[in-house]
Amino acid sequence: METGTYISGAAHLALIGWALFGIAPNPEPLPFEVQEVAVISSAEFAALQAAQRPPGPVAEPAALIPPEAPAEVPELPNAPDPEPAQITPDVAEAPPPDEAPIRTPDPLPQAEVSEAPPEITPPGEDVAALLPLDQRPQPRPAERIAPQAVAPPAPEAIPDEIEREAVVPEEGERAAPQEPQEATAPEEAAPEIVTEAEEPAGAPTRSIRPSSRPARPTPAAAPSPEPQTADAVNEAVNDAVAEALREAQTAAPSAPSGPPLSAGERDALRVAVSSCWNVGSLSTEALQTTVVVGVDMQEDARPVAGSIRMLSFSGGSEAAARQAFEAARRAIIRCGSRGFQLPAEKYGQWREIEMTFNPENMRIR
Amino acid sequence: MTLFVRMFLVSLAVPLLLAAATSSGAQAQSGPLRIEITEGVIEPLPFATPDFVADSAQAAQFGRDIARVIAANLTGTGLFREIAPSAFISQISDFSAPVQYADWKAINAQALITGGVSLQGGQLVVQFRLYDVFSNAELGSGLQFAGPPEGWRRMAHKVADAVYSRITGESGYFDSRVVFVSESGPKNDRRKRLAIMDYDGANVQYLTDASSIVLAPRFSPTGDRVLYTSYEGGAPRIYVLDVGSVQRRVLEQQDGAMSFAPRFGPDGTTVVYSLTQGGNTDIFKLDLANGQTQRLTSAPSIETAPSFSPDGSRIVFESDRSGTQQLYVMPANGGEAQRISFGQGRYGTPVWSPRGDLIAFTKQNRGRFHIGVMRTDGSEERLLTASFLDEGPTWAPNGRVIMFARETRGAQGSVSLYSVDITGRNLRPVPTPEGASDPAWSPLQN
Repeated sequence: METGTYISGAAHLALIGWALFGIAPNPEPLPFEVQEVAVISSAEFAALQAAQRPPGPVAEPAALIPPEAPAEVPELPNAPDPEPAQITPDVAEAPPPDEAPIRTPDPLPQAEVSEAPPEITPPGEDVAALLPLDQRPQPRPAERIAPQAVAPPAPEAIPDEIEREAVVPEEGERAAPQEPQEATAPEEAAPEIVTEAEEPAGAPTRSIRPSSRPARPTPAAAPSPEPQTADAVNEAVNDAVAEALREAQTAAPSAPSGPPLSAGERDALRVAVSSCWNVGSLSTEALQTTVVVGVDMQEDARPVAGSIRMLSFSGGSEAAARQAFEAARRAIIRCGSRGFQLPAEKYGQWREIEMTFNPENMRIR
Repeated sequence: MTLFVRMFLVSLAVPLLLAAATSSGAQAQSGPLRIEITEGVIEPLPFATPDFVADSAQAAQFGRDIARVIAANLTGTGLFREIAPSAFISQISDFSAPVQYADWKAINAQALITGGVSLQGGQLVVQFRLYDVFSNAELGSGLQFAGPPEGWRRMAHKVADAVYSRITGESGYFDSRVVFVSESGPKNDRRKRLAIMDYDGANVQYLTDASSIVLAPRFSPTGDRVLYTSYEGGAPRIYVLDVGSVQRRVLEQQDGAMSFAPRFGPDGTTVVYSLTQGGNTDIFKLDLANGQTQRLTSAPSIETAPSFSPDGSRIVFESDRSGTQQLYVMPANGGEAQRISFGQGRYGTPVWSPRGDLIAFTKQNRGRFHIGVMRTDGSEERLLTASFLDEGPTWAPNGRVIMFARETRGAQGSVSLYSVDITGRNLRPVPTPEGASDPAWSPLQN
């Protein structure tokens, strides 16, 4: 009796546990298929539906309208067409005979043909003889020496003391219309001095080897790894944080704001100043002096003339540096008088400019 | 584990801290943009020289003439370009009135020279000021010169020298003179006489007559004496002539010898020259104080055309000891000479620059003559001219310009003077009333 009770109790407990917790071993998961779907908007769905919708019922074609019959039918005569009149051409009179008939050309004389091969005179050594020195084209001496050669202006171009830019009316311009004006012709320039003694150069006699790529900085020797302890790592982390904060605080006041100038924008500024940097009147010593010039800029990209100052110089005496600085100052003021081509949105980058005038390439040109 | 978490947090925090610090600093101040200018232009500097303001009708002509001479001086260097007075927007009517810089900027005048002239007690007084137009400032202080009215050209040269010096940083060369051999007649019957003139060809005066051939005049360092070679006695002899009194005397004479190619030492107390004796030509040095001579070379070849270095320590000369005519440098008291010319052709008539950095020479190569310059060690040779016959270079007092003689081809060919910048630019003739050769440039006058 008791045994049956125990068996029954255990069986019921097992049944209840199975029903509640499903402690039976998990069967293998049923296989299922995964299909990728895309989420589309209602507008896209409507568009899809519209595309799949069958075209609407075609309207009944309109009844054909027969052409209207002409009111009256013309009667055509049945008579044959008359014979076309024959036109008799005028008979041209025979031209009078020429008073002096054309003379038959005399037969060509028989050429004397020789069996011997013709003698060919060998060309002299100087078939492509050089022109005498006096007749050679002379080099065109240009008074102005500039980085880029400038062809002489057209003959009708008259040199003008006052340099003017071209004035072209813009479309939709509402201001008072300006009279179109041609730009002042650029002055002829040669890239280097050609002395009387130098041969005229019709073509470059040598090409300039491109400058070699700058050597990569030699990487510092990697320190040998040392075993790091927890304290050493903590100390290094603290140092790094402190150093980063210190550098950020010290560098921040001199860091320019706004996006940096692109290489093209910097080159444009460099070229603009170069075109006005006239070193032709500098002394030999001044041509060996490099000056660093500081200048403050206005927002319209024009230099503040009073702010131009010499920050430092090297390579010459103080007197030579003064001459070099004055030439640099003239260049900045002259070419900056209309404002340099600098992006206004990057004013923070060029509010203050340091220009290094290095005449090394200009000593002998 | 804790360590890695901490490092992870630090790596996140550092960029945030940097960004915050940078942004706050950028709002406070921005740094300079740095660019380097290595290419420029070489062109004459435009300048304006209005007529100098005169205080009387008598001085008005001086005012006009002085302005024209100054403009011609500066333009002749090739370093300056005069803006025509017709382009002026404003005029200078008062020497002391402020300058209207905008009017001069508009015509691109980078330098402006204003001046005033007046006659005071028989003296001509010339004042001038130089302005850097684009800097809105005067360049240096105003200067005043006074002298006899007939010396107005010299005062104009002095003003031009001051302007040149202030702008270029080098001393000028306008207030200087040139002694030369004036030539007339055909090549086979040339009449030669010594003449002296301003550097620009004005005020020509003749120092000798044409009764005998004269050659190679050379100024003393003070410009008051001239050495030259004359065939007056049949054989070439060296004479010294006082420019002021035009008195002359034979400087060196030895029986049966020919002396020529003299040149003063830098202190004016010694003269180096060539002496031909027994078919051999060597270089000697003469002490003017005691008349003693010293032989400097003794080679069996021809040594001639000696020229002192500015410090007097060395002498450059020409010699054919190597088989062809070349340039050599030796100590001032003689000794071992070092050859410095090694190019093709023949080199001669070397002259040491007043600056001491260059030697000018005549070179003959492939049927052409050249005037050239080289470093004192013979490096960086640069030929400046080329023609049928160029010879006899002489240096301007500032060492930037060379004058020489050029002869044209043919029996009726003429000889004349030219000047050229040491860069080879600005080759231009020097006006002389007749043919001219053998120029020698004086130092700046006091």
